[in-house]
Parts: sequence; C-alpha cells; structure tokens
Amino acid sequence: MNTKKWKSIGTVLGETNISEFYFSLKNYKAKKGDIITTESKVPSSEGKIEEVTVWGKISSIESSNVFFPTEAAQELTNENINIRDTILPTTRDELICKVIILGFTLKNNLKLMPLNYPVRPAAPVSYPSSEDVEALLISDLNSEHPLFIGSLLARDAVKIKIDADNLVSRHVSIFGMSGSGKTVMVRRIMDELLKKKYPMLVLDIHGDYLGFIQKQKKLYPKNEVKLFYPNLSVSSDDKEIIYTLIDKLGNSLTDPQKDFLSSLLEKVKYEGGSLLKYIELLVRKAREYASDPSKSFKNIRPASMYVVVRSLGQVAKKLKNMEQTNFRHRQKMSKLKFEELPDAATEPEKIINKGQLSILYLKGYENLPASAIVSILLENLFKHRQEVEEEIPPFLTIIEEAHNFIPSRSEDKDNLPSVDTIRKVITEGRKFGTGVMIISQRPSRLDETIASQCNSQIVFRMVNQKDQRATTRDSETLSVDDSKQLPNLANGQGIISGQVVNFSLPVQIKFDAELINDDIGNENFISAVENWDDKESVKQRKKFAKDFSNITSIDRRRAN
Amino acid sequence: MSNERDIKNKIKSNSSLFTNFVKNAVSASPKVQNNFLDVSTQVALTVQKILEDADLILNLEYKGKDFWSENKCKTSCFVDGGVDKTSIISSAPLSIRTGSYIVKPDAADKNREFFEESMVFLGDLYDPKNELYDFAEDDFDEDQMLNKKKDGARIIFEAVTIVKHILLNRKFDYCFLHGPIEATVMPFTVMGFPTFTKFAVENMLPFYSKNKLNAEARHFINVYLEALNSIKKSKFPIYGIVETSNSAPYIKNLLFNYKSKGTISEKDFKNTLATIKKYKITDSHLLEIILQSGQAIKPLEVKKQIQGFGVTSGSAWEDKMDSFPSVHIGYIKINNHSAPIRIETLNPPKNLIKDYEYILATAKLLPNYGFPVGLNVVDKFAKIPNWMSKASRKYYATHLLKQAIRSKDQNTISLAVKILSKKVRSWRNRPLGGLAR
Repeated sequence: MNTKKWKSIGTVLGETNISEFYFSLKNYKAKKGDIITTESKVPSSEGKIEEVTVWGKISSIESSNVFFPTEAAQELTNENINIRDTILPTTRDELICKVIILGFTLKNNLKLMPLNYPVRPAAPVSYPSSEDVEALLISDLNSEHPLFIGSLLARDAVKIKIDADNLVSRHVSIFGMSGSGKTVMVRRIMDELLKKKYPMLVLDIHGDYLGFIQKQKKLYPKNEVKLFYPNLSVSSDDKEIIYTLIDKLGNSLTDPQKDFLSSLLEKVKYEGGSLLKYIELLVRKAREYASDPSKSFKNIRPASMYVVVRSLGQVAKKLKNMEQTNFRHRQKMSKLKFEELPDAATEPEKIINKGQLSILYLKGYENLPASAIVSILLENLFKHRQEVEEEIPPFLTIIEEAHNFIPSRSEDKDNLPSVDTIRKVITEGRKFGTGVMIISQRPSRLDETIASQCNSQIVFRMVNQKDQRATTRDSETLSVDDSKQLPNLANGQGIISGQVVNFSLPVQIKFDAELINDDIGNENFISAVENWDDKESVKQRKKFAKDFSNITSIDRRRAN
Repeated sequence: MSNERDIKNKIKSNSSLFTNFVKNAVSASPKVQNNFLDVSTQVALTVQKILEDADLILNLEYKGKDFWSENKCKTSCFVDGGVDKTSIISSAPLSIRTGSYIVKPDAADKNREFFEESMVFLGDLYDPKNELYDFAEDDFDEDQMLNKKKDGARIIFEAVTIVKHILLNRKFDYCFLHGPIEATVMPFTVMGFPTFTKFAVENMLPFYSKNKLNAEARHFINVYLEALNSIKKSKFPIYGIVETSNSAPYIKNLLFNYKSKGTISEKDFKNTLATIKKYKITDSHLLEIILQSGQAIKPLEVKKQIQGFGVTSGSAWEDKMDSFPSVHIGYIKINNHSAPIRIETLNPPKNLIKDYEYILATAKLLPNYGFPVGLNVVDKFAKIPNWMSKASRKYYATHLLKQAIRSKDQNTISLAVKILSKKVRSWRNRPLGGLAR
C-alpha cells in the first residue's frame, strides 16, 4: 500500500463521528460509490496513539452554488438569457460528499477493522489506487475461493470478487426489475462456479440458462451440463402433495368429496412412478367405487364420488396439457438435448454430480404443478444430503422467478408444496451444503422467512417502493443510502451486500454475451413480425378459407 | 387631477413611504395622520414637477438577452466588506474582510471569474498590540466607541480595496461598491477616536508618504480622504450602490439648487425641508412613487461632509470637511415593487445612460430584490459566516480563561468564569441571590 501515490481530492468537514463524515470534494475528482480514504489517529488497546488509514464509501454527493440566487434563474428563463453572457458566477459549485465509514487499516496491513474514534476534521481526503482498493475489498473475506463478478461501479479498474464459500452455503437473494441484470449476474456466478466444478441445479422457467447447454463444449469442456424436462413421478410417500395438486387443480370439492378423495388415496396402492398414470389409476378406482358404493364408502353418496372422478379427470387433462406445452417449447429448441428428469429418490447422482450443471426446464407448467415438481425434487435431494452416507456432493439450487415457488403469505397461495420444502432446505442448508439462490423481480411477494434467511443480497434497479422496502427489510447489511440508489441503477448495475463481501458495494456486473440462449432470441418482436412468413399449414388454410366461407354464405341465403 | 389621484393611489398601495408612516403612526399626532396623505402627495407632485422641469428623468432600456450578449465582454468588479460583530466582555474581537468578485462573462472558465479576499484583519481591538488602531483609553461609552471603530475599519477597508485595484492597474470596465462611495465621516471626528497604527496605514496605503505618518495623518479622516482622492483619479468608473436611502440628500439638493436659482423662495425651501423632516420623507420614498420601472434620475452633485454640522462643529476636523470630494448621486428604479437604488460616484459619469443601463441589467438579474446581482454575490462571499463568529468567540473565551487560570488568583478566575457564563451586561451590578453568603 503506497499512500504517497494517492491523489488528494478533498478535506474532511466540521463534525465527524465513527460511522460517517462529510468532506468537500474537488470538482470531478470522485463519484458516488467511490472508495476514498483519510488519515486519522486512533487510540490503541495498549493506550498508544496509532496513525491509521480510514476507508469510506461515498454514499451521496450534493452540489450547490451559494452565489447563484434562485431569482436569477427566473430571469434567465423568462428572458432566455445565456448565463455565460451574464455576470452570474458559474464556477463556484461546492461539492459536499457524505461518506459511510467502512473501517480503518494499519500501515502495511489491509485488514479492515471497525473505527472506534472519530475521523479528524480538516484532514485531507485521498483517492486510493485501484490496486489498493481491490486488495482491501478481498482482504477481510479470507476467501479461498473468490468469484470474479465485475468491477466497482464508480471505478472500472477495481475488480470485484465475492466469496464463493459463503455464497454456496449461506444463501443469496438476487432482486431487481425485469431487465435490470439479475440473469446476467446469475450467469456470471454460474460461470465461475462451473469452473470450480461446483454442482448446481437451476429451476429455469423461461429458458434463460439454456445458453450453458449450447456453449458447453466450447466454454465448459470439463463440465457436464444437463437439460431436464419435468417428469411428474411420485411415490406413496408424496400423498400430501398429490392431494394438494388434485384439490387445487380440479374443481373445488365439498367436505364429503374431500373425504372420499382422502380415503381413495389411502386405499389405492401405487408403488411409485408417473403422476399421470397414478391419477388415471385413481380415476378408474373411483369410478369402480362409485358404481358400487356399498363396498367401502357407505356414508358417501355416489354423486359425490362421481364429482371426484370428474375432478380427477380434469387434473389429468390439465397435466397432459402442461406436459404438451412444455414439449412444444422443447421442440422449438430441437438442437438441444432434453432428458427426462431422473427420479431424485433413486438416482440423485444423475441430477447432482461434481462439475455438473442440471437445468430443469419448467416452461409451460402452472405454479402448482411446478411447485409440486420442485418440492418433490428438492425434498429427495435434501434427504440424500442429510444421510450419513452422502450419495451426492454439496450443491447450489438456483430458483428463478422465486415468487412462483415461495410466495409470501399475503399472496394467498397457501399450500404451495415448495414453500415448506425450500424453507427447510434454506434453514438447514448451511449444515448440509444445500445452498439456495433465490431470484425474483418482486421481493415483496416472497415468503419473508425464506428471504430473510439469505445472508447476502445482490440488488439491481428497483422502482417499486414496496419491493424496495421488502429488500431492506430482509437484509441486515443493505443501508438506507444503498436503497435510495436502487431506482437509479442502470442495466447490469447492482449493489452487493452481506457475507459474500466485506461491505456493501455498488458493482457493474460483467456481461457474458456468449451465455445468451441463441434460440430464445432477444425479444425483438418487431423484427420478428417484419420477417414473418406464414407456416405451410396456415397458408393452406388461408387458401381454402374463402371457398368454405362462400359455401356457408350461399347455404344461409337458401335458408332465408 | 388624475396625476394627483395616481400619486395618492401609489402611496396607499403599499409604498415604503406609507409603510413607514404606518409604522410611526403610533407616535404621530392625529392631525399629522390626517394630513399625511395630502402632504406627501403634494410633496411628490412638486418634486415630480421640478424633476420634469429640470429634465432629470431618464428612460433606460433593458433587453435582457440582447443586452448581455452585447456586454459579455465587459469586466466588472464588485466589492463589499464583512464584519463579525461578535462582542464579549473584556475583549473586542474583530474579524473583518473585504471581498472582490471580478467577472468577465465571455472569458474561458479559468479566467471567467475570480473571488478575491482583498483585505483581512483578525484581532482584538482591546489588545494594545493590535495592528489596526493605536490603543487609547476610551473616553466614551465602550460599546459606542467600539462600534465606531468597527465601522471605521470596514469603511476604510472597502475604500482601500478599490484603491488596491487601481494601484494594481486592473483593467475593469466597471467597479461597484456595496454601499455609499463616500461615507459620512462625521461620526469619526469625535474626540478620542483612535488613530490607525503605522503598520495599518503602511499596508492600506503604501503610497502614503512616510513623512506623513504622524498621528494626525493616521487619523481616519486623513486616511479616508487620501483613499477617496485616489478613487477619484481612477480610469474606470466606480459606483457605490445603496439599497435604500434613509435620508433625502437628492431632494434637498434639488430644492437647494432651485432656491439658489431663485426659482423657489427661501421661505418655501425652508418650509418644505421642515415638512420632509416632519414626515420622515426620504429620497427612496418619493422616487419610489414618482419613478416607473426602468426609469432613472440624472445625478446631482451633493456635498456629503457638511461644515458646521452637529458634532463636527467646533471639532478639530471641521476645516477638513471641505476637502472631501463631492458625490454625484442618482437613482434607478429597477422594478415596480421595490424602492429605487441610489447610485453614487465621485466623478460625473462620462457614459451616464450606458452605465445606468448596465447597473439596471445587473439588478434585473435579481428581479424581485432589484439590486445588482454582482453585489449580492460579493456580499455572500465577504460576509463573516456564523460558524466563523462562533469559532472566534470560543477562541477568545478559552484564551480568557487560560490567562485567568495562569494568574492563579481566585478573584480573577471567578471573574473570568462570571464573564464567560453571562451575557453582555447581564452580570454587572446584580445583587447576589438571597441564599448567597
């Protein structure tokens, strides 16, 4: 650390304390978010006075020109006068910066310690070199596995690394508006973790991460990247989930009908396998009972049983539809190799394996079945991590559009099976190496308990005040000043706080252009329409449409 | 008649004359109150008639955008002084400085504007070693003399700042002082008013002959006169600008000129002056009613230091009064809702209309306040901020207490504590509380 090379950029003002100070800044010498230093003296525990370097982050800058009267602005506007033509002062802007103190370091030691004595007023403020700032940022993390994610927002030369160990074990939340940079951030982390061969499971609703499959050979030749589509396989242990699925997806049932459904689930034995087959079996059995109710359900009228039959039929139909929708989406990406999701209970290693990235493509599935799939999957994987003989290594689960899986109680979406499962995984995850990364554009709609379990936050642009409040509520390290910045962040700019960094930092995330999914495209719908050409089937329909229309109209004429 | 009605309406519709009258109405007799409107209307009408007769009213032009685009090449300097009027018992701390704001609008950023702290003094006037005034026992009530000393210091500093610009051969198109270009020196002619130190005079007026540094030459009157004479010789126009006029020098001189010409009788002159005094009518009051926005009054030559006047009468300085240059006083009305500003200069303006239009334009940049914005800027710059006054008070308090403690005399220490813990005057001669032994 060569402090002599640091440029002087200002002077500490009047009253200071141990958490913040203000300084007068030379024009254009620093920006909001910059890391700056000032020299100070602190009493040591041995009673000596030590010279230290106090580090701080500029949290806000205010500019004022006390010599420019408001009235003058009125005249300039009314008369359309150029201020530069007048005698009004234009160069006396005073820049006052508010600095949040990060801590102090001793000479030649970059370990950051909490400041317990106020900064000296009138002390000069310096702009430390990029190398020294970079060294400071990782000094305290003692990170054996730093992950490079981008650069300090105010200073491109300062590269930011976060601590991988805390990231994968202590959970992280990534919030921000649509298009603010969440997925860019997740891809960046995934890229770094893949290089470290850390297993990951991604719950991908939109196909944002399919780029990893496309670029696997080129970018990750030593990794395995697998793409799964959901297989609704169940066992007899999953009765609760099945019950919820049928209850929510089918017609709403009365109490006697619900009783019948419960009894049906008890009576019908199923060894495990496809959920759809199980429901079809239930339909068959229910119809049998309904046709001869005297056999087992004396208190339930056949009419009620037929309602359940119809409801089960509806559920089966919906599940089939969802499967087909997902299939159609998969077909669009014919170049990608989709595999059916293996049974996590019996073959977990096919999903979680060293160096493997598993992407579960959930597009087309409604919330409830998607939640059921995720719940069953995570429950099984977690069990394997809990067992003494661990069959799978520690892994990280990445949950995109997390509000679909862990909605807040106020969302009135009770009984989503994934809520309890993820709550359990996130609460005990640190012990068993089952870290979770939750990603959402609506943090206010997330389950509060789960969100608050995330020890690190990465927050991108956020305008909705409800979401801003939820973000600061769930975070212990995101300051009010940080949250004020949220609406003004640009794409790919975020604030990282929590255990993955020493202190909250505004960051420009490195954009990995090569990881974009080529098949999904860039949402340029106008161009898509401009280049639109009807499919052959549509062309044929259109060809004969007029003839058929003529037939109809002639037919109507005769009838009249 | 309609003119009379206009004037009456103007007086009633919130003119400063009417406001001032209402303020003083408590002390005015009912007859005075009844007559007020009629009398002031008549005075205004008469003065307006004289101004029109003498062709003294000017119509100035102001075209904001065009004006500034044509005049952006001009360099202007604005000067003002700031005094910290802190007072604590046993010491007379004085912080005083004059600032200059020099601006050439069309110059590049680096050279466009300069804020200059032209003169600074920090010291204690009760300190015998202070570098401003020679120490003398005060014959007068201490506060009165102290304030005179502070005022004297400010006046001389402002004048000397302009002299400094002249000596440095600064190429200004205009120089403006916040306040009168020539202050009334009468208050400083009192007996016992101290002389400036040699050090102060040498620094303020380096050209002042060393032979002349005797006590008399170092008196305020002589030093100020020397400064004014230098200002009078300036190559660039220098104007003193006063926000509101509390007296009526213009009207009185105007009437005096007419009396001298024989246009009005001695009796009418005297009676009118008495009326003006009785109703506390000032130049500002009358011209506010008479002038329209953008109108000005051509300057009149006025003698500010009058022999045989009150305090100076019989004073050793009486003869000196005539040596002071006369002042050319004019007025400009900037807008319809504020009183006209007074423009003073030691020389008759060579480009009266252009100069007045420049002043009008600088004041139009403060459309509500109606005062040259450059002077407003330098006023803020030169002003001693509160935090500075506070700091100097703290410094003197600590100094006093340290000195007292060092003396180890219990009485001195208790006096110092008493001084610091009480406000000015509040502690003196007060009986002790009932429980005091």
